[in-house]
Amino acid sequence: MIITESLVRSGADVFIGYPITPSNLFYSYGQKRFPSFYAAADEISVLQWMSGFSTTGKLPVTATAFPGLALMVESLNMAFMMELPMVLVIVQRMGPSTGSATTGAQGDLALLNGIISGGFNIPVFCPSNFEDGWELAHKCVKTAVEFRTPVVLLTSKEMVMTNKSFDLSLLSEITRVDRSTKAYSGEYKPYLMTEDLVPPFVPVGDKTRQVRINSSTHDMMGAIKKANPESLGNTIRLRDKFEKRIDELVEYAIDTEDGADQLIVSWGISVDAARDAVIEYRKKGKKVALLTVKTLLPVAQEIIEIMESYKELIFVEENISGQLKEIIFGKRNYKNIKQVNKIGSMIAPDEILKELA
Amino acid sequence: MEQSQAILTGTPMPFCPGCGHAPSVISISKALIELGYAPNDVVMVSDIGCAGLVDPLFNTHTIHGLHGRAAGIAFGVTHGLNDPSKKVMVILGDGGATIGLQHILESARRNANMTLLVLNNLIYGMTGGQVSGLSTNEFKDDRHITDQTPPFDVVRLAHEAGAAYSARVTSHKNFVEIIRTAFTTPGFSLVEISSLCQPYGAAKMSELTAWTEEEEVYTNKRSELPPPLIETHSLISDKNVIVPRFEAKIGKRYGIILAGSAGGGIQAAGKLLANTGLISGLEATMKGEYPITIGTGFSVAEVILSRDAINYTGLVHPDLAIILTNDGLEKIKDKLSPDTKIIADSKLQLEGYSNVVYLEFGKIGGKKGAVFSALTYWMIKEKLIDKEALKGAAGNHKYSESLLNTMAKMEEHILAEAN
Repeated sequence: MIITESLVRSGADVFIGYPITPSNLFYSYGQKRFPSFYAAADEISVLQWMSGFSTTGKLPVTATAFPGLALMVESLNMAFMMELPMVLVIVQRMGPSTGSATTGAQGDLALLNGIISGGFNIPVFCPSNFEDGWELAHKCVKTAVEFRTPVVLLTSKEMVMTNKSFDLSLLSEITRVDRSTKAYSGEYKPYLMTEDLVPPFVPVGDKTRQVRINSSTHDMMGAIKKANPESLGNTIRLRDKFEKRIDELVEYAIDTEDGADQLIVSWGISVDAARDAVIEYRKKGKKVALLTVKTLLPVAQEIIEIMESYKELIFVEENISGQLKEIIFGKRNYKNIKQVNKIGSMIAPDEILKELA
Repeated sequence: MEQSQAILTGTPMPFCPGCGHAPSVISISKALIELGYAPNDVVMVSDIGCAGLVDPLFNTHTIHGLHGRAAGIAFGVTHGLNDPSKKVMVILGDGGATIGLQHILESARRNANMTLLVLNNLIYGMTGGQVSGLSTNEFKDDRHITDQTPPFDVVRLAHEAGAAYSARVTSHKNFVEIIRTAFTTPGFSLVEISSLCQPYGAAKMSELTAWTEEEEVYTNKRSELPPPLIETHSLISDKNVIVPRFEAKIGKRYGIILAGSAGGGIQAAGKLLANTGLISGLEATMKGEYPITIGTGFSVAEVILSRDAINYTGLVHPDLAIILTNDGLEKIKDKLSPDTKIIADSKLQLEGYSNVVYLEFGKIGGKKGAVFSALTYWMIKEKLIDKEALKGAAGNHKYSESLLNTMAKMEEHILAEAN
């Protein structure tokens, strides 16, 4: 409810849904709250319809779980290449495949990391509590518009289906994201190379400016061009626009104290257990820090540097391999990196305390 | 021809010499010009394959997406524009029409305001001449292809799905007129245009005529549906705010499991208990678990109440378990610990647990009220939560009257027991 409300207040105006557990609350809130709502025939249609709406200047949203995301992959690559603003809310459930529809998980980060062919990232934001949900839903819309890109809000079953008392006064005011076309000089080019690496957006159907939107390798005009310097430059820009402006994307929270050598690193639903573990551990007079990563992708150097400033890292993730750990440090095991991993139910504070001690 | 420069860029045709797609493109542009469309009034969405090479030819807005999905993206474009003065058209081949058939049928069913132009050359040209779902048996016979599955008739399929206008045109002299009629039909229209393919398909018009289905035209009477624009209201308002007005004796985290069967009011009771915590000045969480099917099997609600903010919402070992049926017991028994206080219906037997109170909650409260009578019992006996707070929370419930009756019965029962 909080995420849906924040998305709409930020300017998201079309919800396109295909029902899948455990994302159905978004579908029903989307139907209630968005000015336009469409029920698509499958998840490929969802992404295609969203892309069509996005070319006309709308800001579409959908919500799904892994099986739906899997169907969207090719279309998501298309929307990424076309540079179309949109928001995908992914509600993680336990896999592989259809897995357990009503069991939570944090198993889709590795897929999201490699989801764009060629080593590109789409921004992935991940709330660790309701307040984050409110702030990051806004951040998703803002990023989608300002970077002309699909953006993922990565949640999980336990995050969106557990009722929790919440103080509404904690919610900041949300302003609508500005959709007006940025200033540019000369002839309008839909994929103009600009200083901020994001071309000015003009909707298709514009009276005076011709808009060409293209999913294949293209030049600045949006015309298909096989690997010439201009079109290759355009493709490389799709990585650079995030990597070089990562400071605008990075979100995290650090709870630390002087003399803490151990750093718990967590994201999403597991952060709640980590928070309790930190409280318990400190009650025993021990020192510990907690890093809550909220911008999961692209990985910011700033976040890695925080990790490297501690002697021991404990990655806490509800998946079988430690997906964030592997994205940052690879598959190699390091003596000073511990992991708390689990599937089938949420990681409990005691399980983290065991690794801390 | 000079006029058509306005719609077409004048870029040389990118097709093989003698390709049927060239006259199709010229006919499309002629139809647009005859109808007075300026380039910026038109959004041309192209598919993948030879038919998808058309973007540079058109001076209109252009969108080039994925194989088979052009009708899908165009659906979003036309609804996003919501402007009848704009023409949204899709150019795709027979391969694109079959891989993306769902998008065509869905757009026709919803009468989306757009025109699909299916350039059917009977084969996948770009990948080497493989047959498609629109390849006719006459063509396959000629190529000694043993597969004699009849092709889709995409014109009739679109018609059956609700297309306002759908037609097949094979004779060049009819191209412009049929395309123009499609363009002027409000709502969804589809034209299948038979097309030569020199390397792989029909190389001569006589072959094409022999190998393709007859020309045909279908119409459906459709009223154009405006996209639904809904006026909506904030999901978050002061109505959601609960102001504490009772006292509770719960300090640190207290976990409660309600375990019963579907139809036993367990989920409603869980929500009510969480709200009871809230009006008692506590923080609360509540989560429900039940099978995907409704009305059968177990139903479990987990509620945590705490004076402090609640982070982790899991319940490893509950402080209190209210167990009303065997379904519920089976589901949660692994969570019970020696420290768990257990309140169970007297028809159950919990072997190995000493801390159990049995009472005939089902008899006292009925099927739906058993869980409320058990909660009332717990509140009266333990006094951690004021039972008046439960009444206060129940006051807003749609079954508040029967809830209050159930609570009254339990109070009487306890009084009678005491006497």
